[in-house]
Amino acid sequence: MKQRHKNVRLLFRFLSFLLLLTLTGCWSQREIEELGLVVGIALDLEKDKSLEEALERNENRYPDKALMTITNQLITSETTGAGKKEGKSQQKAYNNVSESGDAILPVLRNMVLRSDKHLFAQHLKVIVIGEDLARTVNLNQILDFFLRGQEVRPSSIILIAKNRASKTLESKEPAVIPALHLIQISKGQERTTKILPPISLGKLSGKLHSESSFLLQNVSTKNGEVKFEGASLIDGRAKKLRGFLNEKDLEGITWVTGKGKGGLVKSLDEKTGQLIIYEIESMKSKIRPHVVGNNISFEVNISSEGRIAENWVVSRKVSENEFLKRAEKVSKKEVERLVKNVLDKTQKEYQADVLGFGDRLRIEYPKVWENVKKDWDQTFSKIPIKYNVKLTITDYGTSVLNK
Amino acid sequence: MKGNERAMIVNLKDRITTSQAAVVLVNYILAAGILTLPRTSVEKVKTPDVWITVILGGLIAIMAGIIIVKLSQQYPKKTFYQYSQELLGKWVGGLLCLLIVGYFFTLSAFEVRTLSEVTGFFLLEDTPAWAIIMPFMWIGLYLIMGGINPMARLFSLIFPISVVVFLLVAFMSSGIFELDNLRPVLGLGIKPILAGLKTTGLMFLGPEIMLLLVAFMQQPDKAVKVILVGVSIPMIFYVITVVMVIGALSVDGVVTRTWPTISLIRSFEIPGLFFERFESFMLVIWIMQIFATFTITYYAAALGLAQLFKKNIHPFMYGLIPIIYIIAMTPKSINDLFKFGDMIGNAALLLFGVMPLLLLIVSKLKEGKHETET
Repeated sequence: MKQRHKNVRLLFRFLSFLLLLTLTGCWSQREIEELGLVVGIALDLEKDKSLEEALERNENRYPDKALMTITNQLITSETTGAGKKEGKSQQKAYNNVSESGDAILPVLRNMVLRSDKHLFAQHLKVIVIGEDLARTVNLNQILDFFLRGQEVRPSSIILIAKNRASKTLESKEPAVIPALHLIQISKGQERTTKILPPISLGKLSGKLHSESSFLLQNVSTKNGEVKFEGASLIDGRAKKLRGFLNEKDLEGITWVTGKGKGGLVKSLDEKTGQLIIYEIESMKSKIRPHVVGNNISFEVNISSEGRIAENWVVSRKVSENEFLKRAEKVSKKEVERLVKNVLDKTQKEYQADVLGFGDRLRIEYPKVWENVKKDWDQTFSKIPIKYNVKLTITDYGTSVLNK
Repeated sequence: MKGNERAMIVNLKDRITTSQAAVVLVNYILAAGILTLPRTSVEKVKTPDVWITVILGGLIAIMAGIIIVKLSQQYPKKTFYQYSQELLGKWVGGLLCLLIVGYFFTLSAFEVRTLSEVTGFFLLEDTPAWAIIMPFMWIGLYLIMGGINPMARLFSLIFPISVVVFLLVAFMSSGIFELDNLRPVLGLGIKPILAGLKTTGLMFLGPEIMLLLVAFMQQPDKAVKVILVGVSIPMIFYVITVVMVIGALSVDGVVTRTWPTISLIRSFEIPGLFFERFESFMLVIWIMQIFATFTITYYAAALGLAQLFKKNIHPFMYGLIPIIYIIAMTPKSINDLFKFGDMIGNAALLLFGVMPLLLLIVSKLKEGKHETET
C-alpha cells in the first residue's frame, strides 16, 4: 500500500515536469522583427490602362471593377534605426509598398508575395483616400474591409487627398514618418479654424450608416509637402465625394458648429483700412430649430470671446473703449460674412446639410425629424436660417498703444 | 437519513457570508452580454433611450429575484433541487430539476463558446479553439472541486479588479464622447423603450442562482439585500457601457458593430501614453467574468445532479466536462451562437420568470392548508 502511494507520488512528480511546456510562451506570438507595422494606408483609383491589362492577364481580376492602388506605409525593424541624423545613411524612416487590384484584402495579401514582413495594422494611424476613388466608389464599399477586420483600429483617422493619396505618404525628409506627420497636423485644430475635428474610422461607420451628408478633412500635396486644405463633402445617400469646400468655407463651418477651439479673425478697420486680428479664446454656437406648423426655420446664435492679437491701425490707443467697439464690429462683420458664405454654399450650391442642423432638429423636435429625415438634404436647402454673431473683446495683450 | 443527507450535499458547512453571496451574484450576471448589449438593445429600441431600458430591465430582474428568494426562504437550508420534490412530488419536481440542470450546463457551454470566439478573434488569432477552451474548463473544474467557498473567495478577488479596470477603460473613452448622440431623451415616447425590455431584462440573467445560493448563506434572511446589491451593480456597469458606447459611436454606428463595446475601446487613443491597445485590459476582466459565470453554472449543474441522484458530486463534475465541451462546439457560426444565446434566454424567461412565482403561490397555498389542518 505504502509502496503504491510512493509510486503515485513519483508519477505526479514526473507529470509536473510537463507543466514546464506551458512556460515556453504564447501560442500566437509574433516576433517584432518579423512585423511590418502599418501606420498609414493610401487608397487610389488607378486609371492606367496598361497596368489594368497586365493585371487581367496575370490574375483573376474582374474587368469592369474599379482598379485601386493601395499604398501601405510600413515601419519595420530595419527602418526604425534609419533616418536618424547621427547616422550617415540616407535611408528613409519608413517604407512604402504599393500594389494594385480590385478589392482591398486580396491586394494586401498579394504584398505577401513580395515582402518578408508580416503586415500588422494594430497601430494604424491614418487612412488617406484619393479624390478620384472617393468620387467614383461608395465609401462604404471602400472601407468595408477596414471596418470588418479585427486588426485595423477604429481610431485611425480618415482623410481625403486632393489628387493622389499615395503622394501624401511621402516626404522629402527621410527622418519624418509622413503618416505620423499627418496626425500631428490634425491636432492643430486648437490654433486654427481651418481644420475640421478629426473623424475616426469608428465615428465614420455611424455617419455612413445614418444617410446624412458629412465632411472629411482634405489634404493636398505640393512640392513634396503636405498641407491640410479645405474639406470634402460626402453625399449621405451615394456615400461618394460630391465636392470640395475651401479653407474659408471651413472657417464658416467652424463658426456655425461652434466646435473650434481657437483661431483668428482677420478684418479691416473701417476708417483706416488697416488690419485688425482678433484671436478666439472661446467660441460657442447654439443652433435653435423653430417649428411652426409645417414650417421649419433655424436660428444660429454664435458668441465668442477673444483678444486683439495684432493691430495695424496706427496712432490709436487700443485700450480705448471706442476703438475696441469698432474692432468688435468689424470682426463680427467678418464672421457674419464667413457664416453667410458657407450657408449659401451648403444650401444653394451643394444642397447638403453638413453643419448639424438636422441633428439639432432630431434632438429638439424628434417627431418632426422622423417625417423630414428621408429627404432632409432637399428640405434643408430651402429652410430659412437666421444668424446672430456676438463677439466680445476682453483684452488687448501687453501693448496698449500702437505707434 | 441525516447522515445520508450530509454525504450528498457536499459539505453544507461550507457557508458564505452575505457580501460573498452578493459578489457571486454580480460575477454571475456580468458575462458574455456586456460586449454585445449596446447593439442588441439599440437594434430593438432604435433611439438613444437604451439606458432607460437597461434600468427598467434591472428593476424587473430585481423583482424576479425577490420572488425567487422568497420561494427559497420557505425552505431553509435546502436548495431548490431538494425542496422541489417536496413541493411538487417526486416526478414533476425531478423533471423540473433536470430541466434546470440542463439550463445551467447549456448556459455554461454558451459562455465557453463565446469566450473562445472573442479571444480567438481579438487576442489569440492563431490559437485553435480547443486550446483556449480546454485549459479554461480544467481550471474551472479545479475550482469547483473545492465547493462554494473557494469560488466565493476567488470571485471576491476578481470583483474589485473588474470594477477598477472597467471604470478606467470606460472613462478613458470620454474623449470621444458626444452628449448629442444620447439626445433626445424620450424623443419618441416610451414605446421604443418597451420594445427593448426583453433584451435588456435577459442581460440580467443570474438571480436564478438564488434558488441554490440561499441554502449556502450564513444569514438567509438577508437574501433580498443580496438581490438588491447584486443586480444594481451590474446595472450600473451596463448603464455606463451603453451610455459610453452610444455617446461615442452614435445610435447609427452602434448597430453596425458586432462587438460594439470592444469597438468603443479601440476607437480612441490616449496621446502621450505609451500603451495603445486598451481592449486587451477589457478582454482580460471580461474573461475573468466569463470564467466566474462558467464556474457557477457548471457547479450549479453538478450540484443539481448530485442532489437529485443523492450521490457524491465529484463524478458529476468530471462527467459534465465532455458534455459542456460538445454543446459548446455545436453552434456552427457566430449567428448560430447568437441564436443559441437567444434560445437560452427564452428558456430562462419561462424557467425563472414564470415558474418561481407559480411555485411560490403553490407553496403558500400548501402552507395555508397545513395550518388549517393543524
